[in-house]
Amino acid sequence: MRIVAEHLSYTYNPRSPFAVRALDDVCLTVEEGEFFGIIGHTGSGKSTFVQHLNGLIRTPASLKRRKRKQASPVQTLTVGEFDLTDKKTDFRALRKSVGMVFQYPEYQLFAETVKEDVAFGYKNFADKKPTDAEIGLAVNEALSIVGLDPNEVAGKSPFDLSGGQKRRVAIAGVIVSKPEILILDEPAAGLDPLGKREIMELLHRIHGAWCKTVVIVSHDMDEIAENCTRAAVFAEGRVKYCLPPRELFKMTDELLALGLDIPLTAKICLALKKRGIEIDCDFTTEDFIAKTLALKGGVK
Amino acid sequence: MKEVAFGQYYPVDSFIHKVDPRLKLLFLIAYIVAIFLAKNFYGLAACAGVLLAIVLFSRVPLGKVLRAVRGVTFLVLFTAVINVFFYRGDTVLWGWKFLQITREGLIFSAFLVLRILLLVVCSSMLTYTTTPVALTDGIESLLTPLKWVRFPVHVLALVMSIALRFIPILSDETERIKNAQKARGADFESGGLVKKVRAVVPILIPLLLSAFRRADELGDAMDARCYMGDKHRTKYKKLRFTWRDAIVFFVGGALIAGVVVLRVYLGAPV
Ligand SMILES: Nc1ncnc2c1ncn2[C@@H]1O[C@H](COP(=O)(O)OP(=O)(O)O)[C@@H](O)[C@H]1O
Ligand SMILES: [Mg+2]
Repeated sequence: MRIVAEHLSYTYNPRSPFAVRALDDVCLTVEEGEFFGIIGHTGSGKSTFVQHLNGLIRTPASLKRRKRKQASPVQTLTVGEFDLTDKKTDFRALRKSVGMVFQYPEYQLFAETVKEDVAFGYKNFADKKPTDAEIGLAVNEALSIVGLDPNEVAGKSPFDLSGGQKRRVAIAGVIVSKPEILILDEPAAGLDPLGKREIMELLHRIHGAWCKTVVIVSHDMDEIAENCTRAAVFAEGRVKYCLPPRELFKMTDELLALGLDIPLTAKICLALKKRGIEIDCDFTTEDFIAKTLALKGGVK
Repeated sequence: MKEVAFGQYYPVDSFIHKVDPRLKLLFLIAYIVAIFLAKNFYGLAACAGVLLAIVLFSRVPLGKVLRAVRGVTFLVLFTAVINVFFYRGDTVLWGWKFLQITREGLIFSAFLVLRILLLVVCSSMLTYTTTPVALTDGIESLLTPLKWVRFPVHVLALVMSIALRFIPILSDETERIKNAQKARGADFESGGLVKKVRAVVPILIPLLLSAFRRADELGDAMDARCYMGDKHRTKYKKLRFTWRDAIVFFVGGALIAGVVVLRVYLGAPV
């Protein structure tokens, strides 16, 4: 499933003193199979955009029609077969195909046991009432892939787990229905470095066989550089750049001007460049080390 | 921040917005008294005139004001219908069994409906033009005399302002949790009553947990800053009376006086 957004705009509380233009003519395509990153300053519209992708925020249909009359560009948003600007779209089917992990997803846990909580989404999306065995199997599988031991945690109360574990349970609760596209809004926010690494590792396990496409919103440029096939930079509701990390992080000045950080590898490359040493790497740690070592041999 | 139905402050700069909240509260009380003192349509017309002036001076759009009325449509219609049919008057216009419509009944209903509308619009003008913080400040200040009998006025005001402050936060939070559960396929619309009530559980539990967590955090934060309540506290924004308040004071006084005069000289409409 491809995600295609064209001329997508969204205003919170339109026609009131509280109006906020959160998205402004966003054009973006995410291909099937990508590990796609979305970066940008706080308030740049990242969360608003990803919530569009499974129909939690909808562009009012009337707006679409009026726009068409004015001959200004038509807003379109399609995810695979689903036309999200159409009111008649089957949003339940859409949400089954597009899993969404909100920011701080551990705050949505509610059930008495981890098993029940993870099963919630599975039962909701099942076409016919699943048997207990099916549910148990699906829950165990989901818990295993997020790196938890089903035998240990399934019977516990989700509120007795540690922060990182809670978050992984919450992620399991979303991926249990095997969505084709998985969207995560700042999945590593507020975790310690180890917790962050674990989350990224589990995303790699999920990407591919389990969920074909993964879209993450992140503030951590190292994370983006290491993992993403492409990344879009949001600024004030618009998409400024949409490039593979290799090209994106060459635009150091532009990114810093937007108040964004750059990966550590890019920082080192920049410092070395000032001393006349060019390293042409793709900004992943592995490639950076390989190129640097090769260079060292060459120079001396 | 998100706009919510409650605490509907409308942020523009106007004469009415700048009036001291204490005076606005007193004026609202005076206005309610005036509405109930008014015994004929002239009195109500005077009240309506004053309210119209307030609405115009406040620069709150008329649509907003009318939206406040929409909330009480049912109450108003219900009152009107009951009174039209059951008021016992002399001039019967139409009758059927125990129901009858009389001229007096019609007049009385119209009167009642007007009263309710004026009341609702006037009170919502208070919340449209006054921030919740200013409002609680005003209430605290007006209740100061109760401190002499050791009534915890400050605590009461604090509780009120925290409650008001938390309404938009919790409503945002509800929206977020609801969206998160919707993304997991929760269905809040279809099904019978039992199913709908059960569907609320996945929202309610996280919401309660988050409310308790926030309350805890707020309490800790207040302790950490050595909050001790009323004693030795100064105010960042001191309330002061200005020429605006004098005008409002006189308008309020004149309204009551006018209504009383109209009541004495013109009598009741029915
Ligand atoms: N529910 C809402 N109501 C009103 N404004 C909102 C709401 N959610 C977000 N906004 C505003 O929309 C803009 C974009 O927000 P958001 O998409 O959350 O940004 P990001 O996720 O990039 O930090 C911000 O200015 C924010 O204040
Ligand atoms: Mg966000």
